[in-house]
Amino acid sequence: MIGLEHYLSLAAGLFVIGIFGIFLNRKNVIIILMSIELMLLAVNINLVAFSHFLGDLVGQVFTMFVLTVAAAEASIGLAILVAFYRNRGSIEVEDVNVMKG
Amino acid sequence: MATILLFAPLAGALIAGFGWRLIGEAAAQYVSTGLLFLSAVLAWILFLGLEPGTQHIALFRWVESGTLSVDWGIRMDRLTAIMLIVVTTVSALVHLYSIGYMADDPEWKPGESYKPRFFAYLSFFTFAMLMLVTSDNLLQLFFGWEGVGVASYLLIGFYYRKPSANAAAIKAFVVNRVGDFGFALGIFALYWLTDSIVLDDVFAAAPALADQNLAFLWRDWNAANLVGVLLFIGAMGKSAQFFLHTWLPDAMEGPTPVSALIHAATMVTAGVFLVVRMSPLYEYAPAATDMIVVTGAVTAFFAATVGLVQNDIKRVIAYSTCSQLGYMFAAAGVGVYSVAMFHLLTHAFFKALLFLCAGAVIHAMHHEQDMRRYGGLRHKIPQTFWLMVIGTLAITGVGIPGTQIGFAGFLSKDAIIESTWGAGTSVAEFAFWLLVIAAAFTSFYSWRLIFMTFFGQPRDSHAHEHAHEAPLVMRVPLYALALGAVVSGMLWYGSFFGKHEQVNEFFAIPAHEETAAGAATAEGSGGAAGAGHGAVPAGGSHMTAAPGVAPEGAIFMLRGGEVMDRAHHAPKWVKFAPFLAMLGGLALAWLFYIRNTALPQRLAATFRPLYLFLLNKWYFDELYDALFVKNAFRLGRLFWKGGDERLIDGTINGVAMGLVPRMTRFARAVQTGYVFTYALAMVVGIVVLLTWMAISGGAE
Amino acid sequence: MEQTMTSDIPTGLAILAPEITLAVYAMAALIFAVYTGKDRLSGALTWLTALVMAAIALWIGMRAPAAREAFNGAFIDDGFSRFARITILLAVAAVLLTGKDYLDRGRLARFEYPIIAALAAVGMMMMVSAGDLMALYMGLELQSLALYVLAAMNRDNVKSTEAGLKYFVLGALSSGLLLYGASLAYGFAGSTRFDVLITTLSDGRVPIGLLFGLVFILVGLAFKVSAVPFHMWTPDVYEGAPTPVTALFATAPKMAAMALMARVLHDAFGLAVGDWSQILVLLSVLSMLLGAIAAIGQTNIKRLMAYSSISHMGFALMGLAAGGSFGVQAMLIYMVIYVMMNVGTFAFILSMKRDGRPLADIAALNLYSLHAPGKALAMLILLFSLAGIPPLLGFFGKFYVLKAAVDAGLVWLAGVGMIASVIGAFYYLRIVYYMYFGEEGEAIDTSMPPVQWLFLMATAAVMLLGVVNLLGLEPLAEAAAAALVR
Repeated sequence: MIGLEHYLSLAAGLFVIGIFGIFLNRKNVIIILMSIELMLLAVNINLVAFSHFLGDLVGQVFTMFVLTVAAAEASIGLAILVAFYRNRGSIEVEDVNVMKG
Repeated sequence: MATILLFAPLAGALIAGFGWRLIGEAAAQYVSTGLLFLSAVLAWILFLGLEPGTQHIALFRWVESGTLSVDWGIRMDRLTAIMLIVVTTVSALVHLYSIGYMADDPEWKPGESYKPRFFAYLSFFTFAMLMLVTSDNLLQLFFGWEGVGVASYLLIGFYYRKPSANAAAIKAFVVNRVGDFGFALGIFALYWLTDSIVLDDVFAAAPALADQNLAFLWRDWNAANLVGVLLFIGAMGKSAQFFLHTWLPDAMEGPTPVSALIHAATMVTAGVFLVVRMSPLYEYAPAATDMIVVTGAVTAFFAATVGLVQNDIKRVIAYSTCSQLGYMFAAAGVGVYSVAMFHLLTHAFFKALLFLCAGAVIHAMHHEQDMRRYGGLRHKIPQTFWLMVIGTLAITGVGIPGTQIGFAGFLSKDAIIESTWGAGTSVAEFAFWLLVIAAAFTSFYSWRLIFMTFFGQPRDSHAHEHAHEAPLVMRVPLYALALGAVVSGMLWYGSFFGKHEQVNEFFAIPAHEETAAGAATAEGSGGAAGAGHGAVPAGGSHMTAAPGVAPEGAIFMLRGGEVMDRAHHAPKWVKFAPFLAMLGGLALAWLFYIRNTALPQRLAATFRPLYLFLLNKWYFDELYDALFVKNAFRLGRLFWKGGDERLIDGTINGVAMGLVPRMTRFARAVQTGYVFTYALAMVVGIVVLLTWMAISGGAE
Repeated sequence: MEQTMTSDIPTGLAILAPEITLAVYAMAALIFAVYTGKDRLSGALTWLTALVMAAIALWIGMRAPAAREAFNGAFIDDGFSRFARITILLAVAAVLLTGKDYLDRGRLARFEYPIIAALAAVGMMMMVSAGDLMALYMGLELQSLALYVLAAMNRDNVKSTEAGLKYFVLGALSSGLLLYGASLAYGFAGSTRFDVLITTLSDGRVPIGLLFGLVFILVGLAFKVSAVPFHMWTPDVYEGAPTPVTALFATAPKMAAMALMARVLHDAFGLAVGDWSQILVLLSVLSMLLGAIAAIGQTNIKRLMAYSSISHMGFALMGLAAGGSFGVQAMLIYMVIYVMMNVGTFAFILSMKRDGRPLADIAALNLYSLHAPGKALAMLILLFSLAGIPPLLGFFGKFYVLKAAVDAGLVWLAGVGMIASVIGAFYYLRIVYYMYFGEEGEAIDTSMPPVQWLFLMATAAVMLLGVVNLLGLEPLAEAAAAALVR
């Protein structure tokens, strides 16, 4: 029987993978965008699982909002990335360090 | 009127000090001098038309804290009036004199402005001194006391480019702090004992203090004696008495008018004034008065011996001042406060005269102060010579013995010497002999000064040739003071040291007959309380104070009347003793410095240790240097180098210059610019927080 | 939970009228500008937007004082939210006006700028009024997405785009963390509404899941207020973004995030004060110290202001960490003063230029006082106020939070605050030093457009005059805090 804890564990795992994707990846900014998406999806799994086990619809409504926002976020992120690429000619994470200190 | 008198010098100080840029240097001098003369005229009017009894003029409420409540007020009685004329007259004359003396001071570069500053300080000093003498309570008195201290400090160090002047100013300030500490302790003790620092309340409580004990420095003391001694320590500092005298000779680093005003005529007499003012208290403090007598007599003797061999003209007069102050204290100590005030008054005239004459000589000799380079000036500056001779006649006490005709010092000093004889106690007898000897010394060093300066051959021919008489503006004050030095003694002899009725009326002391009835009843309590303390001759007590009520009159003489009686009826040899001593001193000086000028050299060579001992002022400076100054420096250096620089500055600088920049570098190094570092920091942050919460949080 | 939504909708819309108005205005302006003048309209649009926001601020201020809820408690219109919303609207309006000249000169004057700023303002207004985790998230995202775009507004500049990218990546990460916390809170409390969340804590014990949710949410918000160690984006983004945008970052979003934090902590987790207070104390100490220390090494005034704002957020968090009504009051007072100081300071920074090109180097201010004594004096007052030197207003802000901390028994925290402000005074005074005693160098252009001059002088005057009764700020903040902490 698959219980709430399994869903939560899965979501937590995905979430941690997402976080690690952000700070372990040194190469491509696109991967960071994917990692962010992964984190948001992990949250969605959480919300839906809770919603189901609580017998409450709010979590699923929340998920809808999150999906929408995630889409908007991804589009803005890609737009900024394109602008950055035009200036810098690279989308490597290690090249995003003009400013420091 | 008293208010105008009091605040005119303050106005002068403010106008000269802050307003001179508006009105110009000359105008600043004239305004402050003019205001001082206004004060002086008012003071004389007040003095001559003084109504009997004590007036209290409250100006405004000053301090109100708990049971401490103090008005800023004027206590106007004979004592105040005497001090007012002394202070304002001498100060006004010194102001006038300074216009000439300071006209072109070689200490300053051409074009530099120093005159308004000088006049502002002088006027400020006068204001503080007036605050002191008019005060109705100890707080205001202390305020004036410190005010004159500040003014004195500023004026001694007036030539601030001279290291010696700065050192002298600091020395005067520090030595006075020692005295002021005692004074402040005395005030605290009085407030603690009587719950008031208003003079009348303190006086009223004085008889009761004589029966009280006070624990201080590990043992019990008689309260009246303890307070008396503490206050006297303050007076010792201000009046340069033995042990605390070292600052006064050095204070001669200041301009000469300052020496005349502050360090001869007025400020240094503040200690005498304090003792006289507190006479209702001292009359119940026999041990304290004994200490005053001894200190005064020893100072008079000691300073006179040192004065014998000094070569700086101003230092001679400074030691002479020290010595004369000793006389005053001796008189106050034996209970004849009126005589102390008498000498204070006459001394102010002739000592200011001597100083200003010395100033004129110095002025004439292009600011040369060493008497060994003078000589033969009699013909070059005859007016100054004769004026100085008058001053010398006054200080040495020339007059016709057995009569009341003579120069000022003759009457007042002899009155003191007779009083010490009249007191009859062994302490007073000791003082009597010291004072007679000191009188001989006084005569010797005073005439020595005259002879070395004005007689003989010029020893510095260049300076001698250019010597010139002082301008009129400087001579006028001299003549005025000379007049005082001649007549002031004869004029007021009766008032200060005459018949009881005369003295009592002068000081508004209730007459003997009027209080006779009260005295009879009070004899049992007040008189007996006094009698219990041995030193007070109970039976002959002419006046007694009803306990709990402040005695009337400007001064309070429990014993003084009887002492005065005995002094008046002293044997002929007592009356002639000071005169003979004076003649002896004169003869010796004549022998040494006119007749056989080689004699002093030979004598100094023969008694070299004694000579050096005197020349070096009994080695007091060296002793204090070794005992206190060096150790204080050592302690100060420890706190400064070790405490301040190493500990405090070191820590702060270490943090500010070492730790913080290191942390700044670290913070900047962490800010790598890489997104993954930033993300890692966030993740680390959240992991730490989660762990912490999981361990310590309010989890189930 | 089963309430009739239909009857709620008209009332709800009425309550949300200011937000709806601003949102509709923004969208209408967008469409209008796209079909007409485009960038030529930017000047007019900036003024119009600022006016609209000021008018809405006035409107909110005039509304009936009673607290109301809309949409099933998702939106709360109470004294606290009004206080925060008015501050935010006025701050955004002020920043729009002061930045206009800079954008014109740098050919950055795009018509989208005021519109996106207005949308960000709508997001912030939603944040501070949120009564539900969903409303919170939506408001936060609306604000964040708008600000990501603004940070990268100068599309042809590598620094600006890099700033946008960094802000976006880290902002998304923090949103993810917050969202994860929200999901945990929802799961363990069974509701997203704050007033239900708080009931699950009523026995004074916090379930571990909820506690983790709290931590995640707090971290997401700490990122927005740039509290250490979630501050790393701040210096880079402040430096890289166009200066008017930096001015915006430094003011309104900080107020919004801080108010939202107060809202969540008190409304939803008000019974777990002991837990979140510890976290806030840690964040506060780290922020104050790091902000002060790291700023010392800065030569770029925008970076310096970033660290300065980190330090200031530490102080504001100190007020919040003290808990209770007075703590919130102190935080609100501190934030309003902080926003005013930053508006003035950035008005000055925006005017820094040489040959028409903007400058951010502190050394360029050498002997500024000789060339423009009045402006130098105003800036000096602002810097002294930022440093917290009495009797300027900045001192009273610090005084309130320190008092709150001491009253709450956090004396050592107050002590750290004092040390931090002493260290912090150094770099503010360094700017003053440059302005007054620096060496003669290449002269900086001292001309200043009237709007910037007005804001600079006005805020400096407020810093001075604020001594009088804090200009009535105290009772307003007290009422607002009382509305939140019941």
